[in-house]
Amino acid sequence: MTELETWMQRATRRLSKDSIAQVRTEIQEHYESAREAALSNGATTNQADRLAVTALGDARVANCQYRDVLLTSAEARILREGEWEARAFCSWRKWLLPAIPGTALLVAAACFLAGAIGPARVLLVGGIGMGLCFGVHFLPVYTPSRARIFRPLRWIVLAGTLLLAFGPDALKWSWLLTSCLWPLAWIEWTRISIRRKLPVAEWPKQLYL
Amino acid sequence: MNFKGTLPTLILETLQQEPSHGYRIAQQIKKRSKGVLDFKEGTLYPALHKLENEGLVESYEGVENGRPRRYYRIKKSGRTILAKDRAEWRQLSQAVTLILGEV
Repeated sequence: MTELETWMQRATRRLSKDSIAQVRTEIQEHYESAREAALSNGATTNQADRLAVTALGDARVANCQYRDVLLTSAEARILREGEWEARAFCSWRKWLLPAIPGTALLVAAACFLAGAIGPARVLLVGGIGMGLCFGVHFLPVYTPSRARIFRPLRWIVLAGTLLLAFGPDALKWSWLLTSCLWPLAWIEWTRISIRRKLPVAEWPKQLYL
Repeated sequence: MNFKGTLPTLILETLQQEPSHGYRIAQQIKKRSKGVLDFKEGTLYPALHKLENEGLVESYEGVENGRPRRYYRIKKSGRTILAKDRAEWRQLSQAVTLILGEV
């Protein structure tokens, strides 16, 4: 394995396939220019190769910096999964999925009017929870400014729903809530990172939500 | 010598002269600083991508000596940021010079 190949492998660790291809192309171009310059200055082939790789610096440092600006494999996976989710919402299930939380909320209102507070609360929590999962895709949130307003609102509604579900015991069960919400928080954190890396024009719908 | 955080500004300044590719940008910075500013060239591209993500520069495909190269050019927002950075740098360097007592 050449020194350049070793450098490339270290510098592209944990990057997505597209990012790896991009890094390889630009570093290869850079390396060839540096190598040609060294050869024209009288260096031998071996010296030119070594000089060109040395000029690139520490591959681990480059890798850290690349991971800050290019999509990692985990982020690319989140985007792919989101595309699958978006396709599912564009199919025949499009109107069926929001109908479920809508129905739950209607039945909750009927239970509340009939005096069945317990079932009404369960249905209300379920309706809001499912609405957060299925309904948000139908909201007109497709600009960064709307998304900035929508995202905190969604977390507030989620927290409110959990408080409604657990009532005064919410604090007692906070360990369970935290562990259940951890995957959501991780996905949100990854999406924040993706938003920094992708130009707004390339954002899929899920990045606004 | 490499002042942390100055690389994006140096890249913007180099691109303000003319659109360029990564290798030439690195050489220009070294040449214009008379070899004083020496940074590792592997860190140049992440900085370029960051500037591109922030909408300060844009890239396009070009050809040099029959070889395809990715060129970068500064955008209007990049020029604005560069002017701001330049003013800040002048202020900072004057302040440090005052403290160190250099003429």
